[in-house]
Amino acid sequence: MNRREFRKMDTRIKAIRKAAHDLKELSGGIQAVDRNVDRILASVKMLEINVSDILDLRL
Amino acid sequence: MKTPRMETDLYWNPIVETLPLERLRDLQVRKFRKIVQWAYERSKFHRKLYQEAGLEPADIKSYDNLAKVPKVEKAMMRDIQRKDPFPYGDALCVSLDEVTEFRQTSGTTGTPVYQPDTWQDWEWWSEAWAYLLYAQGYRRTDRVFIPFGYNIFVAFWAGHYAAEKIGCEVIPGGVLDTEARILKIQELRANAMMATPTYVLGMADTAKKKLGIEPAKDLSIRKITCAGEPGASIPSTKQRMEEVWGAKVYDHVGATEIGAWGFECTAQPGGLHVNEALFLTQLEDIETGQIIEEPGRKGKIVITALDRIAQPCIRFDSKDVAEWAKDACPCGRTFRLIKGGVAGRADDITKIKGVLLAPSAIEEVVHSIKGLGNEFEVVVTKKGDLDDITLKIEILPDEEKNREAILVTLKDQLRLKTNLGYNIEVHPYNSLPRYEVKAKRFKDLRKHG
Repeated sequence: MNRREFRKMDTRIKAIRKAAHDLKELSGGIQAVDRNVDRILASVKMLEINVSDILDLRL
Repeated sequence: MKTPRMETDLYWNPIVETLPLERLRDLQVRKFRKIVQWAYERSKFHRKLYQEAGLEPADIKSYDNLAKVPKVEKAMMRDIQRKDPFPYGDALCVSLDEVTEFRQTSGTTGTPVYQPDTWQDWEWWSEAWAYLLYAQGYRRTDRVFIPFGYNIFVAFWAGHYAAEKIGCEVIPGGVLDTEARILKIQELRANAMMATPTYVLGMADTAKKKLGIEPAKDLSIRKITCAGEPGASIPSTKQRMEEVWGAKVYDHVGATEIGAWGFECTAQPGGLHVNEALFLTQLEDIETGQIIEEPGRKGKIVITALDRIAQPCIRFDSKDVAEWAKDACPCGRTFRLIKGGVAGRADDITKIKGVLLAPSAIEEVVHSIKGLGNEFEVVVTKKGDLDDITLKIEILPDEEKNREAILVTLKDQLRLKTNLGYNIEVHPYNSLPRYEVKAKRFKDLRKHG
């Protein structure tokens, strides 16, 4: 796994976060959507902890 | 960037778990600054604490600045809770409607402290446990039995969710009694289990006495994760558990207010890794408060949970005592090792007849002697001006013929390992209290006059 692949993963993670937020904005308050999006966002945070947060370290 | 060795079969996150320590430090300092900023902006408690110390988040520029940040103790949390925003008080950093989980501490050291978590914090709990379970060999092919009734305490909730996250099959054994749990383990051929050391030994005892089941021979459990008490890091207690179950027993250390911050790996290196990805762990000299980096000196553990947001844990004084190990772990993780696990709580270490005693030292001696039962009790009283310490033990029925030799060995080992002389009381086998979850074996009656 090299830095480029790590950056690719980070790009995908950011895209998931954005997509989740966009979905919530579109939902019009449907709780079935909003609450599940919140769970997705919590998992996205775990991806960020494991990938995005270490991206800028000198690996 | 060097291509790191990708060993996804060994590590939950092979990149992070093998980062050089200086890179981990960079990560920790960066995240420490963020969580301090977060708490400063959102929590009146933290802002007041830091302002009174003359500290602004921007003052934290490097690892060396971290010691400037005032510590938080459990008693401080007690003082601010049960007030608005109710019931958490002003250490809460999110709106109340973002809190999805309520837990509280056990209350053994005083009024329970409430712990709020958001759903993200709850995911973080299971992430911390996923690191430790993966390090202990849990994989998606495992069938994990949890003989515990989850409740208002945080114990084993995250273990359950982390095992699920890894892809294990999880069997919650909560409502069953001990015998039913043993039979269910046998019926379903569970191969892994999580429990307190007291219960691990207690289950084995019940299996043998009441069901005629020898866990090592008749049950399929081959790995056990312990929590809640230091037993799995006490060599003789670990050995007892491993022998009676025919399983590897692994320790972990955590706290409601902190998270699951330390774990033993399959290499069983005689210590616990601190999870450097999720926590910033420092040892402070008990007398001077100086940060201890080198091995061989005991210090108090001060921890920051780097990503916990509802009620941040920043430079929390855990009151636990430990020392760094000298050697790296053969598992390849660069997460530092606490030698021998947590040596004891600073609160538990007490002076008796002028000698400092950690109760775990007594457990190590008792469990190292083959003829003694698992249960024991220590009672400390005052006789006039002098401290008096009594150790109550049970001799295994089959070993009664060796009573004199056992007692001689016991007294010698106690003197050698704890530097104290004890009144020894031999109680009939099975007469001392048995504990379902955590044992309360050390009774210091001097505190109560």
